[in-house]
Amino acid sequence: MKEILRIGLPEVKPNATSQDQTPVIEFDRVDKIYNGQVALKNIDLKIYPEEFVCLVGQSGVGKTTLIKLLIKQEEPSRGLVLVAGRSLKDLRPKEVPIYRRKIGVVFQDFKLLPQQTVWENVAFALEVCGVGRSEVVKRTDKVLDLVGLNKSKRRYPEEISGGERQRTAIARALVHSPKILIADEPTGNLDPVNTLEIIELLYRINSRGTTILVATHNRGVVDRVNRRVILMKAGSIVSDQQFGKYVI
Amino acid sequence: MTLTLTMIAASMLMSFVVRDSAELIRSKIDLVIYFRDDSVPDEKILALSNRIRTQPDIRSIEFISKQQALELFHRLPINADIKKPISTENNPLPRSLEIKTSSTADLPATVSRIAAADMEEPKIICDECLSYTKNQATVDRLVSLTRFVQQAGIGLSLFFGLIAIFNVANIIRLTIFARSDEIEIMRYVGASNAFIRAPFVIEGVMYGLLATLITTVTILIGAKLLAPALNSAFSILGIDFYAYVWQKLTVLILAQLAIGLGIGTIVSALSVRRYLRA
Repeated sequence: MKEILRIGLPEVKPNATSQDQTPVIEFDRVDKIYNGQVALKNIDLKIYPEEFVCLVGQSGVGKTTLIKLLIKQEEPSRGLVLVAGRSLKDLRPKEVPIYRRKIGVVFQDFKLLPQQTVWENVAFALEVCGVGRSEVVKRTDKVLDLVGLNKSKRRYPEEISGGERQRTAIARALVHSPKILIADEPTGNLDPVNTLEIIELLYRINSRGTTILVATHNRGVVDRVNRRVILMKAGSIVSDQQFGKYVI
Repeated sequence: MTLTLTMIAASMLMSFVVRDSAELIRSKIDLVIYFRDDSVPDEKILALSNRIRTQPDIRSIEFISKQQALELFHRLPINADIKKPISTENNPLPRSLEIKTSSTADLPATVSRIAAADMEEPKIICDECLSYTKNQATVDRLVSLTRFVQQAGIGLSLFFGLIAIFNVANIIRLTIFARSDEIEIMRYVGASNAFIRAPFVIEGVMYGLLATLITTVTILIGAKLLAPALNSAFSILGIDFYAYVWQKLTVLILAQLAIGLGIGTIVSALSVRRYLRA
């Protein structure tokens, strides 16, 4: 495992952060409570443009809850979640779909449509937003080229590997050219080789200017990535290190 | 939904029939005057008619000649063998005056005044030849029946309407459940709620259209099959039920479309709504 992780990744560059910039994601004293159970407690967090951030912690610490607040699938019980300086609370219902087009989301279970090909799964994200046919074709081909799936575009999800499925999901998340890409345990269902491929891909995407937030409990990935690491425990942030390691 | 629309259409039709029948009865003549015999000159009958016309509660008065009486007789829905012997050459049908009153409240008083208008000696109106039909009682019964039919129709329609709503809601929910993965992905990638909702609303509209089509065909076939029996049973009304249904078809279809499409679209939109909450 260590051997595999040592090879293949480009040289690590520090996060290109600037404390003078407006945070692209900000959690301001956020709590989330479900039926008396505290899922998130006093979350104060700022993520800047083009950062690559790993959100780590054991299962159940609140990583996914934090992501749900970010994609406006849930509302905070207290506090504010801001994206590009705008509070998500101020979004009107009609604006929520438009907001979601500006952030890409990738999940552990890929969430691909089994009856559609790789190409169709990616194009779907554009079609349901009313994009014209020629534009759909152009952008889908471009993003599949970026993730290296041009040769597999006519295959169905069951015919490709786990890594290729996750790359399809990443391509779909990128097709609207989002400024932020959120990945919730993207390597959770993958073997070490595919894990490496996905991390490499996320690196490449980050180098093109997309802010990346990866929630993971894969220690090997976190240690190897060597970027900003935010550690969560019991719904709170316990550490936030610029070049962190996964230390529980 | 088809059952609901059929119930509604049938109720509406029954309501129309009863209401129109009541109108028809109301419009029929109230009094008929027959004359002593064929020797009474037409001028004396017309003079009597003019005197009766001036009375306060007389709405209209019409002279029916022997020829007109013959034509009316031949239009009656009765056996041809009975009609055959009565012809222009052999016409025993009497002349008459048909009178409509403005109020049927006190027909006996009206009859007395009319009898008094016959000042000729010998009288031209034959004894006991002044007849009047008790339309008012019939109309009142028909009005009660109309009200009952309408209320029963509304009750049944509401009952079947609720069933239709539950049916459509369940079918749409099953469809939504089968496509829940797709809906979830559509929400994550930023599809608008209208885009997500549209296929299910269209499905609801299709149910409404299909139900309307089936109901209309059912009503027409039912009317065609039942018309002979109904026409015979209600021959006094002179209504051809099949032609009557065709006459009311536009109203029936519009009503069904309004209800069918209404249920289909509203129920579909509401069923998918919980999946669209952010």
